[in-house]
Amino acid sequence: MSTQAKPLHSVGVPMKRKEDPRFIQGKGNYVDDLSFPGMLYLSLVRSTYPHAEIKNIDISEAMKVPGVKAVITGKDLEAAGLGWLPTFHGFDKQMVLAIGKVLFQYQEVAAVFAETRAAAVDGAEAVQVDYAPLPVVADPFTSKTDAVLLRPDREAKTNHIFHWEVGDKEGTARAMASSPKRIKQRIWFQRCHPAPLEPCGCVAYFDTMGRLQFHVTSQAPHVYRTALSLVTGIPEDKIHVMSPDLGGGFGNKVPVYPGYVCAIVGALKIGRPVKWIETRTENLTSTGFARDYHMDVEIGATEDGKVTALHVATTADHGAFDAAADPSKYPAGIFGIVTGSYTFPVAHAEVDAYFTNKAPGGIAYRCSFRVTEASFAIERGMDILADELGMDAVELRKKNFIRKDQFPYPSALGFTYDSGDYHKTLDVALEKIGYTALLKEQAAKRARGELMGIGFSTFTEVVGAGPSKHFDILGIKMFDSAEIRIHPTGSGIVRTGAKSQGQGHETTWAQVVAEELGLDPQNIMVEEGDTDTAPYGLGTYASRSTPVAGAAIVMAARRIREKARKIAAHLLEVGEADVEWTDYKFQVKGVPSKTVTMKEVAFAAYTNMAQNEPGLEATYYYDPPNMTYPNGAYVAVVDVDRDTGETKVRRFVAVDDCGVIINPMVVEGQIHGGLTEGFAMAFIQEIQYDAEGNNLNTNFTDYLVPTSLETPHWETANTVTPSPHHPMGAKGVGESPNVGSPAAFVNAVIDALSPLGVRHLDMPLTRDKVWRAIRDAETRT
Amino acid sequence: MNLQYTGEEKIPVGLDTVWTFVTDPEKVGRCFPEVVDVTVQDATHFEAVVKVGVGPVRGKFKVKVELLPAPSKRRLDMKMSGGGFGSTVDLTAGADLADAGDGTTLLTWSGQAEARGPIAAVGGRVLDAQAQKLIAQAFGNVRQQLTA
Repeated sequence: MSTQAKPLHSVGVPMKRKEDPRFIQGKGNYVDDLSFPGMLYLSLVRSTYPHAEIKNIDISEAMKVPGVKAVITGKDLEAAGLGWLPTFHGFDKQMVLAIGKVLFQYQEVAAVFAETRAAAVDGAEAVQVDYAPLPVVADPFTSKTDAVLLRPDREAKTNHIFHWEVGDKEGTARAMASSPKRIKQRIWFQRCHPAPLEPCGCVAYFDTMGRLQFHVTSQAPHVYRTALSLVTGIPEDKIHVMSPDLGGGFGNKVPVYPGYVCAIVGALKIGRPVKWIETRTENLTSTGFARDYHMDVEIGATEDGKVTALHVATTADHGAFDAAADPSKYPAGIFGIVTGSYTFPVAHAEVDAYFTNKAPGGIAYRCSFRVTEASFAIERGMDILADELGMDAVELRKKNFIRKDQFPYPSALGFTYDSGDYHKTLDVALEKIGYTALLKEQAAKRARGELMGIGFSTFTEVVGAGPSKHFDILGIKMFDSAEIRIHPTGSGIVRTGAKSQGQGHETTWAQVVAEELGLDPQNIMVEEGDTDTAPYGLGTYASRSTPVAGAAIVMAARRIREKARKIAAHLLEVGEADVEWTDYKFQVKGVPSKTVTMKEVAFAAYTNMAQNEPGLEATYYYDPPNMTYPNGAYVAVVDVDRDTGETKVRRFVAVDDCGVIINPMVVEGQIHGGLTEGFAMAFIQEIQYDAEGNNLNTNFTDYLVPTSLETPHWETANTVTPSPHHPMGAKGVGESPNVGSPAAFVNAVIDALSPLGVRHLDMPLTRDKVWRAIRDAETRT
Repeated sequence: MNLQYTGEEKIPVGLDTVWTFVTDPEKVGRCFPEVVDVTVQDATHFEAVVKVGVGPVRGKFKVKVELLPAPSKRRLDMKMSGGGFGSTVDLTAGADLADAGDGTTLLTWSGQAEARGPIAAVGGRVLDAQAQKLIAQAFGNVRQQLTA
């Protein structure tokens, strides 16, 4: 038998991404690249009013536009029983096309189908809608009064959607009352939008067998198939969902949008393929936004800075429908991670959500179900507490960190943190940034009246939803799956229920399979997004791919290894018990010269399998026993121009602990991307509505995405504390930088402004907001 | 977004002439800046198509106008609502007419507009100044037509 020249390490290798050659050459295959004979285009008429009764919809002029084939309205859909769509959270529904009234500006009102995209847009422009304006509720605090009832369609005649709470209410109140030091601050995490480069879209048609072929920008193709079957009544086997290359998702491509339903209805009604692709404005104004949490954060502590209690009361703006795609049992997501990296003996968190005349959503933007909001609240809160105590922000954090020996750590709000070494991770960051020298520099600058700030965020995330006991979407448990087939010549294919949107699954999954089976990752193909071929899974969001689908791949590969062991025993002419897997090959125990490679076993599985079942493939459905808890220590150093309010992020160090790293280069890429988004939220991005309910950030001139010009230079490092329950020790990393970084930026700016007495500013920290804060502070003194 | 405007225009012709002009839908309609077409329905109603360009938002607006002349012949109110390219503008305007002596008339006007859609989104930057300019232009046109 053969011997191998060198070990076949695949995990931990910075392998170049297999998908990149096609992306950088413009050869990706996106939904909008698809074209079918006879294909029509759909354009949606959208409401100009945030809240109005629909008096009449006149489609006669639209039907005269050359090329327009059909126009459908909410009434048509309602007659067909398709007027409403259940939201993924499951306890609300959303109008597909407005019925009776509109509830937010840019809401879908009518669908126009035409021979060309231009004709469809012209047709939509020609639809005459008569509106009678109704009073507008543009914020959750006005909504709370119920002076204007937004959703008379619901049984509960109130704008209040839900109250959710976790923790010990009385115990927290008692501990807070007896704490010698207390801080309280309202912290608003503004409404923002993930704005993926590729907007949402689909192509729908019914094939000659009457089967729905549905190409769509979806992060969760299987959930779409089930949801479409439930909504339309089409049997699930007659629905084929395909999600091709995606140009970013960030949670924006999890919900099912009205445009998808309209495209399917049009395809059915007209009998031709229908394509719908959003414009940038449609994407920013009507699809899943992020955050909009007003959080009242209260922390109690002893005189010397030991935290004693945490209370957070949140008012959430959910928009016109409760379309925040949360797991069924978690209407406020996993906001309970709000105790962060600290040993709070007692805590209480509550969230009250309200309808407003704004676009629906809330769960998006690279964030595991409200974890970004929670992390921001606690990391800002800890800085405010440090300020109150007159204590160094690092010292306060270290004093309250969960120690390495306390894991698995049961948090006050019910999570069991799997692993971490927070002191070490922070020390790496302090060393890298040169904290001591920076403090000296800052003192000297302050003496000269210059504004320099150092900001920390030592966050803990909770990702990888999730254990079936707690987590489901529309009742479907949040497991994930993998199917691996090894071909006779030792190459193979892996399919999962996850769906890459740029994360690099085609590379990392190949590395995982290669590592487990001792094969060449270049010859392991990865396929995702096709419900006809991929095993059922819940998709990619909430940093769940590596913790859940990744674990399924490992387990499927190990199943293959067990099968291969039998064949290896046959080839090595020993009993199965005498074969061990060592150094990426099978070996007769104690006889290093007697080995057989997986490649040889694969060939034998099809040519010389003896009494064993032919073939070499396996499937695994993985139900995670716990969530994973990636964490990190981020440090930002900023200089603020006292005269202009201009903030310069001079340095940014991000030390992440995401457990075992599959591909360091991919991880670094994820960190860079997420930090850039965190920077955008901290300084630039906000979806603003005026008091009349107008969305003021409807395009890329009003809603900015940072370019290389303004993006700071990122310095990254890692510590590795494996997850004890993940088969490979990995934790997931996609969202860490987005979750962790906003607080570091804001803490740095507030630290810079603290000599002026500024204690808090809400994001985004635009230069005019910072300038005003400086001016106001200087006027006060 | 809510916009409010006020201003005055001195017109070198008598009050009655001005009144006759401003209560004539065809004539008033033609004074709209960038007007493309005016369709008169009756003595107090007309529709106008105007070209609108605010920052990157450009296109044609179809505007429905209702004139509400006061019996005193000293005040004219106007209701306009229009839209296009996914935007809507609702506008109410009023003008008081007063004899300014020497056969001239003083038009004191005020208006309130509510803009919605993309046109409102660009509002913070340019809409306000643009609208002010357009309204001033409209009354300027009235003066010009009456003077010519």
